[in-house]
This record gives sequence, C-alpha cells and structure tokens, in this order.
Amino acid sequence: MMTDDVTLERPAAQGHWTGRFTAMASPCEVLIDLDDEAECRRLARLAAAEAQRIERAWSRYRDDNIIHAINTSGGRPVTVDPETAQMLDLAARCHELSGGRFDVTSGALRRAWRFDGTDRIPAPDEVRALLPLVGWRRVRWEPPVLTLPTGMEIDLGGLGKEYAVDRAAELLGRETAAGVLVNFGGDLRASGPARSGAWEVGIEDPEGRGAGLRRLSVSRGGLATSGDARRFLLRDGIRYTHVLNPRTGWPVRQAPASVTVLADSCLEAGLLATLGLLHGREAEGFLREQRVRFWCWRRPDAA
Amino acid sequence: MGVTREDRVGPRRGRRAIRGALAAACALVGVHAAPARATVIDTGLLYYGELSRVTAVEAVGSLRQEFANGRTGTLRLVYDALTGASPNGATPARAAQTFTSPSGMSGYRVAPGTTPLDGTFRDNRVELSADGTLPLDRLTTVGLGVRFSGESDYHSLGLNGSLSRDLNDRNTTLSAALSFDHDTVSPQGGVPVPFSAMPAPAPSSGEGEGEGGGGPGVGKDVVGAVLSATQVLDRSTLLAASWSVSRLSGYQSDPYKLMSVVDPVNGEPVRYLYESRPESRLRHAVYGQLKRDLGRFTLDLDYRWTGDDWGVRSHAVDLHTRWDLNDRQFVQPHVRWYRQTAADFHRLFLVNGAGLPDHATADARLDAFTAWTFGLKHGRTLANGHLLTVRGEYYHQIGERHPVAAFGDLRDFSLFPALDAVIVQVGYSFGT
Repeated sequence: MMTDDVTLERPAAQGHWTGRFTAMASPCEVLIDLDDEAECRRLARLAAAEAQRIERAWSRYRDDNIIHAINTSGGRPVTVDPETAQMLDLAARCHELSGGRFDVTSGALRRAWRFDGTDRIPAPDEVRALLPLVGWRRVRWEPPVLTLPTGMEIDLGGLGKEYAVDRAAELLGRETAAGVLVNFGGDLRASGPARSGAWEVGIEDPEGRGAGLRRLSVSRGGLATSGDARRFLLRDGIRYTHVLNPRTGWPVRQAPASVTVLADSCLEAGLLATLGLLHGREAEGFLREQRVRFWCWRRPDAA
Repeated sequence: MGVTREDRVGPRRGRRAIRGALAAACALVGVHAAPARATVIDTGLLYYGELSRVTAVEAVGSLRQEFANGRTGTLRLVYDALTGASPNGATPARAAQTFTSPSGMSGYRVAPGTTPLDGTFRDNRVELSADGTLPLDRLTTVGLGVRFSGESDYHSLGLNGSLSRDLNDRNTTLSAALSFDHDTVSPQGGVPVPFSAMPAPAPSSGEGEGEGGGGPGVGKDVVGAVLSATQVLDRSTLLAASWSVSRLSGYQSDPYKLMSVVDPVNGEPVRYLYESRPESRLRHAVYGQLKRDLGRFTLDLDYRWTGDDWGVRSHAVDLHTRWDLNDRQFVQPHVRWYRQTAADFHRLFLVNGAGLPDHATADARLDAFTAWTFGLKHGRTLANGHLLTVRGEYYHQIGERHPVAAFGDLRDFSLFPALDAVIVQVGYSFGT
C-alpha cells in the first residue's frame, strides 16, 4: 500500500484534521489538532508510513521479513535486527511476568483450533501433539540471535499493532507540539489534548452493535482492546473462546469476550488487556490489581 | 452480551500486580508512558538534626501542572524552621568564653575546653519559586524560573532561564542556562566590618536570645552559566555531563563567624575579630552522571568536581541504586563521598602580634574535610495510587582535629568541630 492512500478531512464542526488509511488489516486514523492542512497531511503520511513499516517487519503473512525468516529457519539460529530484538525482549519479559500465560509461540495451536463459529472441537490428542511446538522456554534467545526449534512459530501480532500506535504517536509528538490522537483499529494513544479539550473516545460493543457503549475523555495515554466476540466455537452448549492457554493448548475457561484497558501507553494497555483475557474467570480481579481503568464484556452463556 | 463492568481501583494489594514491570518493559522498547497525570502534587516533611547542634524542620509543597502543547508550570513553597547551635569559628580555650552579637545586645557563654557554639541560631525561612517550560518548536524548549526566599536577616531573589534542544533523533539534548541571584544579609546591629573586634558585652545582655533582623544590609550578586549535554547511549543507559561557572561578588563573609586572636605562647584567646572573606569568588564545576536502567534495578552514579579562586576544590561521588521489590514498593540505597580542600585564607586562629592577613576565616565549611552520607529511601504506592516515601540519611564529616599548626593549649583541644547529622524525610505525592 502506498502512503498516498491517506485521505484527509475536517468536518465543519471540528478544529482538528483527521487522516485516514488502512494498515494491519485495520482502518486507521490520526487526529491532529492543527489548522494547517498541508502539515496535517504530512504528519498523517508519516504515521501511515510508520504503521506500514511495522506491518512489513512483523506480519506473519509476508515472506520477505524477519518473522518469515525465523519461522522458516528450520532450527538454525537467526540474527534479528535491534527493533525485533527489543520486541523479543519484551515478549520474554511478558512471558515471565505472566507465569507463561503470554507466549508469542502459541501460533502452532492454530493448526488445531479454528474459531469459525462451528462446533469443530479438536480431539485432545490433536492438541496434545502440538504442545511440544509451543512454549517460549523451548526457544533459545541470546540477543540478537534467536534459535527456534523446527515446527514452532513466532507471532508478534499480539504486540505489533499497539507498538505501532505508540510509535506513530511518539513520532508525531516529535514533529508537532499539537495534540494528536492515533487510532489503529480501535487501539489508540493520545498525546496531548486538542485545543478544545480532551479527545472523546468511544468504546464499542465488541459485537459491533450500534454506537459505542461508553464514551470517555482522554488527553494522554493509551487504550487497547483484546478479544474478538465473533471468534468462538460452540458445542454442547459450551462456548469455547478463541483465547488459548499455551500451557494446555485449550481455550482459557470463562474468559471475557473482550477486555479494554486504559493505561499510560497503548502497548501497556494492550498487554494488560491480553493478560486479563488469559486470566479467564479471574480477569476482573487481575485487572483490578493492576490499578487501571478497564472494561470487560462477558457473555451470559460463556463456558 | 450482557454484563458490562467498569472498575477503577481495587482495595486489595496485588500479588499479581505487574503493571509497573510491564510499563518498564514497554519503556525498553522505546514506548514511553505519557504522563497520564496533568497535575501532580508533591508534599514532604524533612527533619534535619545535627547531634546537639542545629535542628531544622522543613515542609515542602509543590504543584506541577501540564498545559496543552507541552507547556508545564511548577509552583513550590518551602518553609524551614531552624533552631540550635553552630560553631562560631572561635577556638576552644581553658577558660569559659563569652561572645556577643554584632549589636552587642545579646550574647552567650561557652564552657572551657569546648568548641564555641553560637546557640542563638533560630530562624524561619520561606522560599517560593515558580518555573515553567515552553516548547518553541518540536525540538526546542525554553525554561524560565523565578525564586524568592526570605528569613529575618537574609533575603534572596533569583531568576533563571534556559534553552534546550534535542538532536540526533532525540538521543542527544544540549542545553544552556543563565542565572542571576541577588542576596541581602542584614543582621541586627548592622553588618560587622571585616576584622573589626567583637563588641564588648552590654551590661544587660542575656543569654540565648534570638537575633532579629532589620539592620542595614549588604548584598551579594551571583551570575551563573551552565552548559549541559545528555546522551542516550543505548536503550537502558543515559550519560549526562555539564560544566558550570559562577561569579559571586559582594559581601560574602558570614556576619556571625568570628576568629580567635590567640596568645603566641599559650594559644589562649586574647580577643575576637569578625572574619573577612574576599568580595569576589569565581567557581567552576564539572558534573558527570551515568544512569542505567536494568528493569527492576536502576543505577545512578554521579561525580562532581568543583574548584574556585579561593582555593577550595572538591570531589563528590554519589551512588544511588534503586530496587523495585515488587510493583508497589522500591528501596533506594544511597552512599555519597565528598572531599574538599581548605580555602587559601582559612586559618584556625590568628596569632596576636603577627599582623593581619588580607582575609581569614575559621569557618569549618571552608576547611579541608571529608564527608560520608549513607541513606536509604523506601517508596510505596498506596491503594489509592498515591506515593508515600520515607528517607533516612546519616551524614558524617571528618576533619583534622589536631592540626600541626596548633600550639600551646590549642594542642589539647579538638580544632575541627565534628559534625554528625541525621535526616529523616517523609514524602507524599499524588496526581489528578
């Protein structure tokens, strides 16, 4: 995608410009509280270019990036670039902090689990057979060299979008003193309020019904959502959410359908939201202990 | 989709609270937390106690506000109450000694063989300062500040301005700052003329009366400049360095410090003169700081060198380490080593009949000494998100108690007043 796909508009009633583009399979927007249209266009293109750069670097759907090189390394050591190294450090730290719940190597489980709304629950043996291919502990990470056993997969998708939001917000923060809101598919970061006051942000009903359920004012900080209410399996009245526990290979029991967290950065909010989901029934208790504002959606029929 | 929950803060202390560690991990990938708080209020109470000497209690309150477009403003109010005794510069003697204030209206007696301490030291100080930062463009920031402090016999007014610029993808920051301060000292009874004799005690003088202010004052101007650079070395290491120069001109003697003029044979005091310091002083300082953030462990090592044309040169090494015990508590051990040389005109005493030097002071703060500070700070985030800190420090100063210059009776006394002090500070900060 070219950065020229950025569109810019300013509704009559608003003081800020909104630049829109698509990246990471999500609608993205950048709200900039400046009057200068040309400057806003330049800034929106910078944000788009940053989002696309990160998408190119870490998308697992490409065959020309470091993630592909790692996932097809066949057990050979791969030297990674400094930015990927930082991300792997973060992944390692999150794995440690979450007691193994957060694991960027759980991708292999997707071979057994397809959350398409059907009742196709994999056989226990099928899941068990995949477990040797899951687990950060099996990875040898000696920065900047990563050795991934054959058959395992690394997926930084769970971190990449939020990271891109923060990067874009910080990039624009260096370029302008104006208030900016970066929103990539609902994961967002505000760096400074608009002249007219804080940014108004809506948290949507995860099933996408109508208008946002909640509105809140944000002038600084990050908001991120984990979970997808549309991805599940339903069998014998039990709904299996798409959140997999990497230690068992099975969906986390009684996980909320979706968790939204407001924290200091988008990446932090995203990690807390994901960890919240991974705590299943205890999601609210876990998030309460993190002392963040959060919103959990649960289905009445959740297993 | 039925249940929607919103929660803000839970009362339980979380064993699973990992937010701080996550934020630190995010910072390592270059994602820095936006200061989520637009207003931060810090309050603190400090106790400083020297063993059987000066005691000070200080209350501090500050309010920091962030405005749109990166502007910030800080207001700070400090109140100090000081009482106690401090060495007046005179040497110990075989006989009891009597000292009077510059006005001759109050005085105190000192027991034989002890370091003469002026016990009339009692004052309250108020300091008010305001400063602000204003981004000029995306990489350049201007800072401005004003400060006033006042106590009964001392007033100080300061202005400062700085300009800083980020370079090299914000990995380097260069800044330049200028400051101007004007101080006025106005002891009751007037400012003593350097090397004038201490007045004889007035017949009605009592003991231990506080010195009020209000006499005619003399001033001192300080003009300073600082150039500094900060460099991010890698994602966990920061290096900072600065060079500063300041020129002090005007009255710099301490109006309460005396010199003993001693008998050339037995070293016993014959009379007392007020001290005399030069009216100009040029100081340089070089400072370096290395800061390393290793997740739960932070290391901060500072070194400062100062030198001036009075002959005082000092080295200070300061080491702070911080351990995050968990996500709500940290401890911060601190150790500092300091050594300075004496001013060229520092004399422990003057000898009767030997003629006066151009300048002389017996103030121990201008003598050679070594000092150690050991401290420990504990910080804890409370259930309501506010931060409570407690800091304890011990300060120990070591100097030459029996210098070779001592003779006669002076050889029997300690000529360096030992100084040991305890500092306890409680801080409480919160934001909105």
